[in-house]
Amino acid sequence: MRRNSPLVPYLFVLPLICLLAFVFGLSLIRLVEFSFKQVRGIDGPWIGLRNYELVLGQPLFWESVIHNLKLFLTIPVMVMVALVLALLLYERLPGWRIHRTILFLPYILAIPIIAVVMKEMFQFSGPVNAVLTALSLDFMVLDWIGSADVALWTVMGLIVWRETALGVILFLSRLMALDESLIEAARLDGASWRQRAWHVLIPQMRGVIEFFVVISAITMLSAVFAYVYVIGGGRGGPGTATMVIELYIFNALIRTSLPGIAAAVSVLLFAVSLLLIWALFRVRRREEA
Amino acid sequence: MTTTARRSPTGAGMMDRRRLLQAGAGLGALTLTGGLAGRALAQTPTLDMWWWGEQELPGLQAYLDKAIAAFTEAQVTPMLQDTAVVISQFQTAAAAGEPPDLQYLWNGIYHMESVWLGYLAHLDGLMDDGLLAASNHGPLSRFDGHVWRMGWYPLPMPWYYNKDLFDKAGLNADAPPATWDELLAACEALKTAGVEPFGGGVQDGYWAEWYITHGLSQNLDSVGDAVNLFIGDLDFREPRYHQHWVKLQELRDAGFLNKDMASLGLYPGIDLCVNGQLGICSSIGTRLPADAKTTNGRIGCMVLPVFGQGALAGRPVVDMQGMGIAAGSEAKEAAASFLNFLNQPAQLASFWEATGWIPAASGFDDSVITDASVKDLWTRWGKGDPITNITNLMPGQFYEQAAIPTGQNIITAGMSGEEAGELAARVAQEWRDFNPDLVEKYQQWASELSAG
Repeated sequence: MRRNSPLVPYLFVLPLICLLAFVFGLSLIRLVEFSFKQVRGIDGPWIGLRNYELVLGQPLFWESVIHNLKLFLTIPVMVMVALVLALLLYERLPGWRIHRTILFLPYILAIPIIAVVMKEMFQFSGPVNAVLTALSLDFMVLDWIGSADVALWTVMGLIVWRETALGVILFLSRLMALDESLIEAARLDGASWRQRAWHVLIPQMRGVIEFFVVISAITMLSAVFAYVYVIGGGRGGPGTATMVIELYIFNALIRTSLPGIAAAVSVLLFAVSLLLIWALFRVRRREEA
Repeated sequence: MTTTARRSPTGAGMMDRRRLLQAGAGLGALTLTGGLAGRALAQTPTLDMWWWGEQELPGLQAYLDKAIAAFTEAQVTPMLQDTAVVISQFQTAAAAGEPPDLQYLWNGIYHMESVWLGYLAHLDGLMDDGLLAASNHGPLSRFDGHVWRMGWYPLPMPWYYNKDLFDKAGLNADAPPATWDELLAACEALKTAGVEPFGGGVQDGYWAEWYITHGLSQNLDSVGDAVNLFIGDLDFREPRYHQHWVKLQELRDAGFLNKDMASLGLYPGIDLCVNGQLGICSSIGTRLPADAKTTNGRIGCMVLPVFGQGALAGRPVVDMQGMGIAAGSEAKEAAASFLNFLNQPAQLASFWEATGWIPAASGFDDSVITDASVKDLWTRWGKGDPITNITNLMPGQFYEQAAIPTGQNIITAGMSGEEAGELAARVAQEWRDFNPDLVEKYQQWASELSAG
């Protein structure tokens, strides 16, 4: 084959494509196949769409979906907090390097570690309520992880605290790469800090903000298992107050011996994630056009 | 080459012919014996054993290591399993045709599902019949006329009460409450004395399960009744089958449950009672030797005070952990031989020494128990007229989606006992819809259990 043949680049990546197809493609095909079977052990009879019917007709599934959707509320909070912190750090306030490290620290720690520590902190008889009581703020003393009304909000708080760190680092990296002459020009024209941030800096950060939003959306949809597993006592509790789709899948597969059901929900989750990514690319393409 | 490595030109240090021959003969003999030994080792069966239990009974691993070293008929390779995958790991391996030879088995449905899937071999005919019967495997190990599991160690399930706190509240520490009215009166007295009366920790869900163990059984006439609730022959919406949740609601409404119950796990909740911060809590017998020592014998054991009308009301509960042999094992005889070995008196004594706890087998010489609290528990629970833990009959789906959420929601979210019954009935129906292939097996199991 001639070196300048258009097929050559594809041949270079072919081994990797084969490997990916084997690792992910095969699993995906098997997952879809399982979702149409009543699996016991590692196989079972074909039952058509029955698994999907059962899942979509079960209140617990929809409760899990709603909890995942509620977690989306953390995204605007994380974006705003991360933006403000990144802009403050960009101003190179005294000790900004240390602050940057401190802010990023939660993201370096494994989720189970911080979740276990937070669970201890937020127990009804734990340090958080003890401090609130000592400060005569008894009205703020809550059963943070034991109350069905509060537990999901506690999980959300923990997610915001940890995941915002990624936003800060992403935003700060983008800010560091901006052309400083524009900012200097705005400063010379008398623009205040708020005006510089709003009219000069943030518009140039649009791409990275979008990226962070999408990453966060995928996280809220399919990567919060460790948070709810630890905070919700391993079961999405109290009751079903912190049950999310990932935990639903885990329970179906591991605890209730229903691999077919777990596969059906996984396929649904995969489809929604794909839809989300597709929507993002579409929006970006339209903007670029 | 270094100087020191050089041979002497005079030949000093060189091997003479006789020594060379002697060394050659020695090496030959070594090779021969080594080969024979290797062949003998190759003929010794090897057994894979997947087990669990160190998590709830510290010392079990030390005991097993010792037992395995002493067992000469096979080479046993143990693997301690994580709690979350004890069942799924075995079932997946069995379905793939590569199960371990020996598998740790929880009671009831936790191994019966594997029986129905054909993953376990029945032990009658494999193990020594006398030893199998003496292992006290319990009624939930039987199906279709066979025994599928050996009993390994028992788990009596008492309710703890703190005798010092009973004294403080002016209650008789030697006569704990036996009826529901007596319990309410005791709780009131404890509360008045400034003590949180009743509860523990429900955050991880297990307390809710144990509460059903003690509560639901009070309105059942046989263990098979519990299965009938799941297969739909009985209904959780009938008042007697959700009365236990109504009683829990009563305790909540009276303010008798400890305030941090919803945010504490099971064991930290029990610790409250042991540490003198809680009057009454649900516990487990394996904890008692240590807890009795900590409190200098001031922990008492009782059954859940009676409110129900069923034949099982007021009887102590004893669960049983066990061990079985995979149907796909290629060394079933050797595996059975190992189980027989574990039931020998010397091994039972070794179990006690390593764990400080009682093995299940009747061959255990219980005169070695010296602690008065443990002795009392063993006399009344182990050797009394106990019932099995009925939550072991629950399908996993019911356990996760009804048993645990109901208890937690009553305690934390204002759910009523009646609403808990509604939820349980709905989830039982969902289980039947999700698992039509298992319902028939459950029906057979229920009829066998009801027949005794």
